[in-house]
Amino acid sequence: MVSLTVSLVAFFALIAWGFVFARPHGNPMAREIGDPRLRGNNLLDRVGLAVIIGDPFEHGAQGVDVFERADRAKAYLRRIVALTGAVQMGNNYVLEIGTTRFHVRDRYVRRLQGVSDPKCEYEETCFCLPYTRVPTAEQIATALLELANNPALFGRWSAQIGAVKADGEAFART
Amino acid sequence: MNARIVTFSSHGNTTLFEYDPASADMDEVNKVIAEYEAKTGAQPFDMATGERIKKVTRQQNEVLMVHPIAGG
Repeated sequence: MVSLTVSLVAFFALIAWGFVFARPHGNPMAREIGDPRLRGNNLLDRVGLAVIIGDPFEHGAQGVDVFERADRAKAYLRRIVALTGAVQMGNNYVLEIGTTRFHVRDRYVRRLQGVSDPKCEYEETCFCLPYTRVPTAEQIATALLELANNPALFGRWSAQIGAVKADGEAFART
Repeated sequence: MNARIVTFSSHGNTTLFEYDPASADMDEVNKVIAEYEAKTGAQPFDMATGERIKKVTRQQNEVLMVHPIAGG
């Protein structure tokens, strides 16, 4: 009986040992980097007092349901709509920059150059974020933010040259 | 108050990292951002103004890394 008890105690001690030492790197904060593409940077060492965190919402698969993610994406879209001065009209977000008007909606952008010119016609292109999957609201937010800063991006997108960074440079992931 | 670098992801928006702007090594912050841009093509925007920025300074409290777009 005594040997059985000792064995059980040893068994549970081993399990507890496994839990304690299975944590990678020892520093729990270093595991909280939200984007795996930043892992390995060891930012705590490099930035000194920088703190790497992840808020409770970031662990999508573990803690955030689909509706919460969608709400957060929409909240961010609302912020960017306000920042860029865009106006929501149904499913479209209308952004005016000078005499150019953009209508941004899910995966499509229309451009009207020369708003006051009755002969001017809309041009349309579709768009996507090729290297990252994000909610629709954040795709629209990305397009609004980029167009507000660089309206010429519409021409780059419609030229179908592949991924284009916000500054207009082509980008290919290596 | 900590400053934070965020990006859009399949989880909604994601905080990449936070730092104390008063004491952090901003050169290193910018190096990490440059590496992230090299890997993903994402570029930093100041969420206070909505403008693209070339370098993050201690004045920015929230920076959004905006990913490239492809048209079709």
